[in-house]
Amino acid sequence: MSAQEGMVRVTDPVERIAHWILAVSCLFCVLTGLGLMFHSWSVIPELLGGYYATKWMHIFSGVIFTFSLVYGYFMWKKDCEFEEDDLGWILQGGGYLWQTTKLPPVFKYNAGQKAFFWFLVVFGAILVISGLIMWNPLIFPVMVARFAYMLHAMSVVVLASFIVVHIYLGTIGNPGTVSAMITGLVSKAWCETHCPRWYAERNKKPESV
Amino acid sequence: MTNHWNDIQHADVILVMGSNPAENHPISFKWINEARSKRGAKLISVDPRFTRTSATADYYSRLRPGTDIAFLGAMINYALEKDRVQWEYVKNYSDAAYLVNPDFKGPVDLDGAFSGLTGAKYDKASWSYQMDENGIPKMDLTLQDPQCVFQHLKKQYSRYNLKKVSELTGCDIKSLETVCDVFTATYKPELSGTIMYAMGTTQHTYGSQNVRAFSVLQILLGNIGVAGGGINALRGESNVQGSTDHAALFHILPGYLKYPKANQPTLVKYNEDNTPKSKDPQSLNWWGNTPKYIASLMKAWWRDADLETAYSYLPKIDDGKNYSYLPIFSAMANQEIKGMFCWGMNPAVGAPSSRMIRRCLAQLDWMVCIDLWETETSAFWQKDAGVIPADIKTEVFLLPAAASMEKEGSVSNSGRWGQWRYKAVDPVGHAEDDLWIINQIVYRMKDLYKNDGGAYPDPILNLTWNYGKVGLDGRVHNPSPREVAKEINGYFVTDKEIEDKAKKEIKKFKAGDMVPAFPMLQDDGSTACGCWIYSGSVSDTENKMMKRDPADPTGLGMYPNWAWCWPVNRRIIYNRASVNAEGKPFAKDKPVIWWSGLKKVWLGDVPDGGGDPGTKLPFIMVPHGRAQLFAAGMTDGPFPEHYEPLESAVKNTMSSKQVSPVITRWDEKAKEKTCNPIIAEGCIAATYGTEDSKGFPVICSTYRVTEHWQTGQMTRWLPWLDEMVPHQFVEMSEEFAKEKGIIFGDKVRVTSARNVEGIVAYAMITKRLKPFVIAGNTHHMVGITWHFGYKGLVTGAIANDLTPFIGDANTMIPEYKAFLVNVVKA
Amino acid sequence: MAEFIKLIDITKCTGCRGCQVACKQWNELAAEKTTFTGSLQNPDDLSYNTWTLIRFDEVEQNGKMNWLLRHDACMHCDWPACVKACPSPGALVKTDEGPVVHNTKFCIGCKSCIVACPFDIPRYSKEKENIAKCTLCYDRITDGKNPACVTACPTGCLTFGTKEEMLDKAAKRAEKIGGFIYPNNPKYETHVLYIMPGGLKVADYSHANPNPKMPTTLMWWKNLFKPFTLIGIGGVAGLAALHYLIKGPHRVHEKKEEGGE
Repeated sequence: MSAQEGMVRVTDPVERIAHWILAVSCLFCVLTGLGLMFHSWSVIPELLGGYYATKWMHIFSGVIFTFSLVYGYFMWKKDCEFEEDDLGWILQGGGYLWQTTKLPPVFKYNAGQKAFFWFLVVFGAILVISGLIMWNPLIFPVMVARFAYMLHAMSVVVLASFIVVHIYLGTIGNPGTVSAMITGLVSKAWCETHCPRWYAERNKKPESV
Repeated sequence: MTNHWNDIQHADVILVMGSNPAENHPISFKWINEARSKRGAKLISVDPRFTRTSATADYYSRLRPGTDIAFLGAMINYALEKDRVQWEYVKNYSDAAYLVNPDFKGPVDLDGAFSGLTGAKYDKASWSYQMDENGIPKMDLTLQDPQCVFQHLKKQYSRYNLKKVSELTGCDIKSLETVCDVFTATYKPELSGTIMYAMGTTQHTYGSQNVRAFSVLQILLGNIGVAGGGINALRGESNVQGSTDHAALFHILPGYLKYPKANQPTLVKYNEDNTPKSKDPQSLNWWGNTPKYIASLMKAWWRDADLETAYSYLPKIDDGKNYSYLPIFSAMANQEIKGMFCWGMNPAVGAPSSRMIRRCLAQLDWMVCIDLWETETSAFWQKDAGVIPADIKTEVFLLPAAASMEKEGSVSNSGRWGQWRYKAVDPVGHAEDDLWIINQIVYRMKDLYKNDGGAYPDPILNLTWNYGKVGLDGRVHNPSPREVAKEINGYFVTDKEIEDKAKKEIKKFKAGDMVPAFPMLQDDGSTACGCWIYSGSVSDTENKMMKRDPADPTGLGMYPNWAWCWPVNRRIIYNRASVNAEGKPFAKDKPVIWWSGLKKVWLGDVPDGGGDPGTKLPFIMVPHGRAQLFAAGMTDGPFPEHYEPLESAVKNTMSSKQVSPVITRWDEKAKEKTCNPIIAEGCIAATYGTEDSKGFPVICSTYRVTEHWQTGQMTRWLPWLDEMVPHQFVEMSEEFAKEKGIIFGDKVRVTSARNVEGIVAYAMITKRLKPFVIAGNTHHMVGITWHFGYKGLVTGAIANDLTPFIGDANTMIPEYKAFLVNVVKA
Repeated sequence: MAEFIKLIDITKCTGCRGCQVACKQWNELAAEKTTFTGSLQNPDDLSYNTWTLIRFDEVEQNGKMNWLLRHDACMHCDWPACVKACPSPGALVKTDEGPVVHNTKFCIGCKSCIVACPFDIPRYSKEKENIAKCTLCYDRITDGKNPACVTACPTGCLTFGTKEEMLDKAAKRAEKIGGFIYPNNPKYETHVLYIMPGGLKVADYSHANPNPKMPTTLMWWKNLFKPFTLIGIGGVAGLAALHYLIKGPHRVHEKKEEGGE
């Protein structure tokens, strides 16, 4: 492994590719979804070649989202299991909102990231299931189908908001973070700040150089 | 129809019996609903099945198929018992007061028969009125004389009490009583009740008497000749009225003139036999004009021949013979008839015992079918028909014909309106209109007779044939229906002066002038007229059938200038019965005609006969001018009497006569095997109490649905109609299905004495049919539509493969509505 | 232009199905290959090519036989759920005259309208990938003609006219026969009204919704979650911006590294 000098490798290429497939399909779903939901946003379907094309793109990216979500779930599940320290982290707002004295040291992901993961999993699953029902609503009882439409819309409200937070914190909110999902490399200081426990553990294992 | 379609809006009670207008005459419901919403009229549906008409009716009563006379008998009896009779009408306008020959005896005295029964025929000598010294029937206006028609009527129908009739017909006594009560309430002069009937009444062993029972009831209630009244036959085809008017039947000539018989070799003898006489000065006795009409008809057909010669050209019916379905097909089976034209007709599906009919067709040398589509008849030799084509020797020609919108001509509706129609589009492909086809045939026949001779060429060679512009070869190439209409109306053959006695003036006509109306027709050969009842439809200047003026001066919906109505544009016939002796209408809110004392004229509709009020009797078509409660003209009895249908699982409780003694019993000939084996097999009947009937316990009735028409030849080629009724089905009650283990989606096999292999169709299990309980026994009923056959976009079993061959004693109309079958799960 | 209503006087229906054929003829809808349904109702349901249909129900009540015949087609809601649910502008349009019309050119075949419709009217075609339903013959009524079904109806069951005229007629007729008007929910008006006979309930008729209204789920979706999607995204984005401005980016403190890689 040839890491850049002074940098720590936090993700491997598979993880990064999976993340971006998930991210892009999700954002594309949101974008096309918004285009279909808000007639005033007709510019989106128009750019994409019309409403009919947009419908299929939404369904297609939804399918990709589904697979990448399932993959991501198994990939990140272990690192995102909650532990006792997470409560302390949450109680202090992760240090983002006010001055905190001592944050519990984070392993790989902090409680906020874990929460995001689980929201993504739960509401993503609702979106996927309701989306599949909406794809073929006529084979379901009408009340089931109607609930699917409602839950789909509801899940979007939750997930879209979280995605904005995720993007903010992953980019300008935490400078130096975005490279974790681009090159896979972050600075040592970044590691010590954001995942000290993981970093420490990693350093104990010589083979993981 | 005595009245017409939109006159139904004036009815106070509408009795729908033996018809199903919601399904088969949907347009009539416009006027039924009009009467209901505007007048608060009540609709009564009497039908063995709960139909779409029943679904919207105010009152419903069912009855076992074939018990119409019993049901109506109960209504007649109810009217008599409850004094629901319009006395003024009955005493003055009916024959109730006439005294009957003292030798006359009815079913009460003779156990279901009338006097004069000898073998299978009635000697009708005793069925006559007593005449006074002036030759006018004797009357007892108190109606008390036991010999008067009214007392005879009362005596016969006193047996038709509610209890007995409800037990016989299988309807519950309450609904029967309700129907009686609601309908007979129209006896009041200001109220009118109409009867709408169709094939459910007529296509019976006793079809004619069923209609007669309507007449008796309507005369008692004073419902004939009035607005919103009458006995209204709903014709099953757009122009079937026109086809009967113009005699598409074996026993009449155009205009309902009687067909000549072999024992009437001369016109003089014909007139002697067929011209009724009345010495009553009040009676117009319209048929007294018969000699004028037959003479004019002969002139229309053979203009250049003298009357007797022309008459001699007409083929005559052998005495005692008839030419209805069975004799014709029997002659085919015996190869006496070798060729047939089948013109817009599909007997392979529509005739009774149609499987036998198809076998008879195979005995022909040749057959010409003229139709819009390939019909089952024209394809009877194909594999689809279940035969081996190589075995059939008949040579079949199919000529494509133009549809109604592809040709010009007149169509007469049930209300007798001759309505002109124009060609909308050209016929498809090689199709030609009927007139063009017959024009070709006539010229070719004339050529054949001229060139090759023949047994009797004169009638053909001398036939007047001039329906259009003559070409250089002296022939018409494009015959015009307008020219035919002129001949039907009639024209003067020679110059003629006619004296109008009423106006004391002399009218002069030139040869070629149109006859203004049938009173101008002559018996001396100076006029020609193709159908006297249509005389007046075309004038020198206009074809009145083309008129389309929606003005309605009376406000009664009679539209005198919309098309033209026979006779003489009279919209409601016998309308003189709607007014009293002073010419005042019985129903003031819907007067058909009324006498203006000031102007000394009749106003409103065209009245029946002229003259001042009270001087002429209203029923101008019967010899004595009074409506006949007692109809001696019927073959099987002057009053309708209930007998069971030929195939019935029920014993007749009215008398020991299970069936009428005078109906034509083809089944007996079949049993004795005295006829052709094909005919014998097709005519077997499961008569009551015989061994043959044991295997066929279920009552069956055939019928139609809205979505298809007749044999389906015009509807089963239309996908939009096919999708609605795509399959033949057998309607049955839930109780019967349960008993037979038949469930939804099952097919059943229906067999009859004539067809033990049976037909297979889907079972339609419904709450709308219920078993009949008669004398403690449960009798099930099934119903089958007869719209299906083996040609068309959708196909299905032919219902008439099951139906019996029975002829009504008067008209030979077949029995399609009450016969016996067996039903098993297929 | 005036608002119109099609009035179905169910007491005058004879089930002749003239309306059913007239609809197919005017709208040039293909016939279906149907099978035996066990009743006269055929095709057994509305479809892409069957926009109106007479439904036949056999109901026995206290020994009295009723054969209920009902003309079923789009009710042309005043506040149509289908239009509300439709994602593609122009595919379903509520017209000023009352009819809700579909335009297959714009329909994307998402089936949302089918799910949303309280009367279960729109029908989907797999081959065409779009929906179709009764248009109340918008092309005829804007030309001053009656809808095809009304023109064909021989019994006076189907009538058509301006809203005021028809509401008045319906009220009078319902009173006269002791029946009632359906739907009679003042909060959910339609441009098709039934006059129902007394003594029967709407629920006795198959495929009829006794209490038609905008589906609650659709209301939650369109009136709550839809705006909240934007509020959520915008609000959170705003908060993030505020956070950036107030707290600034969360910078990592660089330390001098002693060893390691």
